[in-house]
Amino acid sequence: MTSRRTWLPNWLTSEHPLPWLFPVTSLLLVFGLYPVLYSLWLSFFKRNPATRIEKFEPSWNWSKLLADDRVWDAVQVTFTYAGIALFLQLALGMAIALLLDSDKRGFGVLRALMTLPLVVPPAVTGMMFLLMYDSSFGVISNSLYALNILSPENPILGTGSTALWGVIVADVWQWTPFMVLIMLAGLRALPREPFEAASIDGASSFQSFIFLTLPMMSKIIALAVLIRGIDLFRIYDYVKVMTDSGPGTATETLTAYAGTVYFKSANFPYASAVALATLLLVLVTSTIFIKLFKVRF
Amino acid sequence: MSFKGHQKQNFIIDSANAFTAGRMSKRDFLKNLGVAGVGISAYSAGLLGTSRPFFGNVAHAAENTTPQEVADFLRDAGKPFAGTTIRYTSEATPPTNILNELKGEFTELTGINVEIEIVPLEQVLAKATQDVQGQLGTYDIYYLDQAWTSTFSFDTIDPVEYYNSNPDLAMPGFDFDDFSQPLVEGICLYNDKWIGLPFDIPIFTFMYRKDILEKHGIEIPRTYDEFTAAVELISAEEAENNIYGTGLQAKSGHYSLECDWSQAVWGHGGSIFGADKNFSGNDAEGVAGLEWYMNLLENSPAASVTSTWDGQWQMGASGQIAMCQSWAEFFPGWNADDSQVKGLWEMAKPLEGPATLRSRDAVGFGEIPNWGHQGGSSIALSRYSKNQDAAWLFLQWACSKDIMTRCTLAGGFAPMRNSSYVDPRILARKDLEGSGTTRHLDTVKWTIDNAMASEPDLPIWAGVANNEIPTELGKLLTGQDYDGNAQKCMDQIAKLVDAVVDEADLG
Repeated sequence: MTSRRTWLPNWLTSEHPLPWLFPVTSLLLVFGLYPVLYSLWLSFFKRNPATRIEKFEPSWNWSKLLADDRVWDAVQVTFTYAGIALFLQLALGMAIALLLDSDKRGFGVLRALMTLPLVVPPAVTGMMFLLMYDSSFGVISNSLYALNILSPENPILGTGSTALWGVIVADVWQWTPFMVLIMLAGLRALPREPFEAASIDGASSFQSFIFLTLPMMSKIIALAVLIRGIDLFRIYDYVKVMTDSGPGTATETLTAYAGTVYFKSANFPYASAVALATLLLVLVTSTIFIKLFKVRF
Repeated sequence: MSFKGHQKQNFIIDSANAFTAGRMSKRDFLKNLGVAGVGISAYSAGLLGTSRPFFGNVAHAAENTTPQEVADFLRDAGKPFAGTTIRYTSEATPPTNILNELKGEFTELTGINVEIEIVPLEQVLAKATQDVQGQLGTYDIYYLDQAWTSTFSFDTIDPVEYYNSNPDLAMPGFDFDDFSQPLVEGICLYNDKWIGLPFDIPIFTFMYRKDILEKHGIEIPRTYDEFTAAVELISAEEAENNIYGTGLQAKSGHYSLECDWSQAVWGHGGSIFGADKNFSGNDAEGVAGLEWYMNLLENSPAASVTSTWDGQWQMGASGQIAMCQSWAEFFPGWNADDSQVKGLWEMAKPLEGPATLRSRDAVGFGEIPNWGHQGGSSIALSRYSKNQDAAWLFLQWACSKDIMTRCTLAGGFAPMRNSSYVDPRILARKDLEGSGTTRHLDTVKWTIDNAMASEPDLPIWAGVANNEIPTELGKLLTGQDYDGNAQKCMDQIAKLVDAVVDEADLG
């Protein structure tokens, strides 16, 4: 052991952090950084879709992106989708977590059951909801028809005004349990003393929630919002499986549009620019959020 | 004939119970759902991955009839490649499905293994695009929709040239001249080069339910005007029975919608491109075509806007529609033995529009306006394949007279080769009403030979036909944009398409 140390350079010994960090850092560089840099490089080329010749014109795709109405529509859809889904998941997640925050018998099982939707692949969830929305026999569609909320003439996923809601519901079903788990972890870690003191002072449950639970949970809520928010910005599976961005572009998010440009039009440089714009949007939005809500990791 | 609500629900429940209890195969379960009209949106959009409808019976072609000299050739020529695996990716076309069942015969003769990846059409395009972009050679054979012929024209090897320059690998009696000439021109040729071999020919004909037309005293429509009147009448009279005059494949953003739309434009004397190579769908004829289509949509099942060809087929199979101007390959499935509408559908020549067809001199990019939209495909040898010779043997086998005829026997779809139409086995099934019928093939052949329409040939067409056109049409048809104004929608498409054409320096 001693002799080995004498001839090995210091940065290769187990005392040095490099050997420990090297494997995972290399993976990050190869599978994380390289694709981003390659996409950036690719986005500086103008591709002729007929000849497939790519010419270095750094501003071409970025100017095109700024002038592309579909990009701006997709930004709007992305924000709408992420905003509504996040709000619903947060509100439902907190409400369910409060209901499940109990040591009574059976609640542990209920908490465990909450994880079930999370193990279903999103594409499968999309297909399940396709069935439930089906205008012939779908349980959701037929319930809404029975309540006169919708009519069979306007299929949920085939109507511009309802398609996005249809996709959001699938997302909310799958990811609300994630919020529940995070909120539950936070709730169960809260100290009991402030609540006992508030109770002695005559505070109602609602007051305790507003003035104690929420402030004490704010960091956890912010973190949960950040994680889910980033995830929601890169939504692809549900849209692809359930609506393929339609009808028209009613459910076309930025990632879905990048997919369309890539797979249907084979314009790889422009698709890279759209994908990078999504990344940029996520970075800017999350940075503002982190600053605004002082999120600490 | 139509399912009433409770009948349909019971049928679905019984099928589901049988499936979950293991008494019914997945395929039969899906078929029953289709028959019950289930999932026109759901299955077409996702579960079946917008598969082409196929309810053939491989048993009809089970007998190995490979000519002795072909079998001997394959045994000898295949020896050096024994153990090689060739791959190709394809849509679930009827011939691909059958080929997938028969490929064992090829492997037995040559020792060459064949892997066929069957995926939805849009994924075939994505995979082929990736492969040619990186010149990867992952796939030895490409399945090419006619809309992509020019797009992939750089990436394939001319089969005629390969045949002539490799006499040791030339299958005896292969006979290129036996391929239907209109199909070769419409599907395979680009700038006088054969891009691939003709493989599949879905083509628009007119199909109708004779019982419903008789019930309402309607003569078989021959023109767009007669068809429109009949559609409106049936939709109004049969509303209680949930039967519509027609159904469409109008899924927003999908190629199927582009196919429907282009037929509507051609039928009204319009074209996709003018002779100046500018988009011309926004001229008076083009707009008239779209307005006519919008009227049809109002008289179609609501699920039309979420349906591709699969959904449209299911509408016919479930008894939901009375007439249909669409792919002839729907017909065999509607006449399958277990079909709820067996024997009720008939086929006629494609409808004729209210205007004279635009001449080929007045259109751009080799477009062929006519009454019967073709959606054919070819299979082509990849320039980047690392197993070109082995793949070439498979291509010849797959497109040989014997195999192509057997594919038709099993699936009932139109053959590529003239000899198949007069094959005694095909002729023997002309009088059949149920499964395996070939009574529609004369009409299909007439349409191919006399009224076949083809989309323009330009390398960017795959993108435009799958993205810009059907997406904007989808916005109009679902009320997302354009306030129901066809002209506005067409003007916007013109702007988008012309920009793409200019960007590609093709204008």
